[in-house]
Amino acid sequence: MTAALLWPALVIMAPLLLGPLLALGHESLKPFTSGRIGGDDAGALTLANYAQIAAPEYARYFLDTFRVGLISLAFALLLGFPMAHFIVRRAAPVTRRLLIGGLVGTLFLSIIVRIYAIAMTFGPNGPLAGFSRMLGIAPSSPDGAELMVVLGLMNTTLPLVALTLIGTLQNINPRLEEAAMSLGAPRWKTFFQVTAAMSLPGILSAGIIAYAFCISNLVVPMLVGRGSILFVSNLIYFRFSEVANFPSGAALSIVMMVLSVALFYGLLHLVRSNWQEAGK
Amino acid sequence: MSGLSISKRLADALFEAAYLSLITLFIAFSVIPVIVAVVLSFDARSFIGPFPPKQFSLRWYESFLADSYYRDGLVTSLILATVATLIATIAGTLAAIALSRATFRGRAALQAALLSPLVVPNVVLGFGMLIFASRLGIIDGMTRLIMGHVLITFPYVMRTTAASLVGIKASYYEAALSLGAKPWKALAQVTLPLARTGILAGAVFGFVTSFDDVGVSLFLTDAYTFTLPVAILAQMRANLDLTIAALSVVFIVATVLLIVLLDRLAGLDAIVGRGVYGR
Repeated sequence: MTAALLWPALVIMAPLLLGPLLALGHESLKPFTSGRIGGDDAGALTLANYAQIAAPEYARYFLDTFRVGLISLAFALLLGFPMAHFIVRRAAPVTRRLLIGGLVGTLFLSIIVRIYAIAMTFGPNGPLAGFSRMLGIAPSSPDGAELMVVLGLMNTTLPLVALTLIGTLQNINPRLEEAAMSLGAPRWKTFFQVTAAMSLPGILSAGIIAYAFCISNLVVPMLVGRGSILFVSNLIYFRFSEVANFPSGAALSIVMMVLSVALFYGLLHLVRSNWQEAGK
Repeated sequence: MSGLSISKRLADALFEAAYLSLITLFIAFSVIPVIVAVVLSFDARSFIGPFPPKQFSLRWYESFLADSYYRDGLVTSLILATVATLIATIAGTLAAIALSRATFRGRAALQAALLSPLVVPNVVLGFGMLIFASRLGIIDGMTRLIMGHVLITFPYVMRTTAASLVGIKASYYEAALSLGAKPWKALAQVTLPLARTGILAGAVFGFVTSFDDVGVSLFLTDAYTFTLPVAILAQMRANLDLTIAALSVVFIVATVLLIVLLDRLAGLDAIVGRGVYGR
């Protein structure tokens, strides 16, 4: 009976998971002659496409992806944790429902719409155009583009982080905080040394999930990166849309997939083995 | 002693101020862009000028309604999201139930494999699916899109349903069996009705994931079959006029309606969960 329930998923998902993986792996080993669409089927298989990616000029795209993703994640956690704490511990039922509705709504709203709205708000004619100058960043500089990408990524990860952390905080006994305060601990100390410390596995799990979203993003750098901030996803898309160099795009895809999966499951394993029963 | 309590009170006040300003910042950052998009959608100017606009009109809504390009995209997106969600919900729900009871070796590995599209960048999935489909000789846009979208919606459905099954005791199902119900009947009349909130939430998540997807669809659309987000993206890169703002408002209204509907049908708390110490 249990096996019978699994069959539909296996029959549908096995080809959809394995097919693209094998196709990418094979394509990435084909030689490429420029001017063609896709790899050369006649040529012998080669690792040249991977060797090409190892060149230093490609490192920039990988570094930008992981670095900008990390900055956005840090800000998302900084804003997301107090919000989740407020919803779980302080908000009245109506406020709580409204805030959760807002978070799920933001999560559901089309990413293109959200990034468009960010571009209109923080862009040259937007009401918050002065925001980047306030931080000492010239809006038209590469740093200005990076700021826009950070803001865009934050907008996509904030609701995700906050909703995940709500789950974490709901499993922490509020009595522990009350105990700390009744023993004379100040609010801030209780917040950091009891609440935040006990949430650490959840914060790390939320961070890992949000980071996976950040580094795989295509739309944000495409729409607000102004060409000076490009992620590996954008590079893969260019390989397909601009130069039709499928083998190189496939090699990039394989590398990015291995990095993402290793990073995600590696970090998650690290968190879960350090904190038993953590991050659920 | 009193010096200590004053410094403690000061620290508490400072902490409270920082805490509340971070929450305010969160809300401002989430809400202001939405308001800006709504206001701009009524802008009467033909160019994107300084905010706020002085005169208002419905011209961008007219231009959006007159554009069949968006309408075609919307129809494709709706069909695609419905078909992909239906397939993913049936397969994903059954798999979630099976995995929640299974004890065989490799169960965790199978679950991780089925959830893996969540971790792999969508661009990689889309590009891989494009090459795979072309090797199979599938060049029809809709077929390719459905293949890609089942792949990305399935994990959301399975994960959400699996989370809702945690609270449903296997003993209910076993009780039905011991009272003489056939396994399929026990599943259909006991487990599935109990899990319906989770299944509904999973289906909604799947539908939204499919409807919003860009990364996978960009590779799999063809000249005649393109999704709404792909259509918007193409228009955005061609000319950044305010038709997109009008379209954004339509999206915002649809999202608000969806949230209200979800709250009525399943309850937002049921989706977020109340946890052990939730109020």
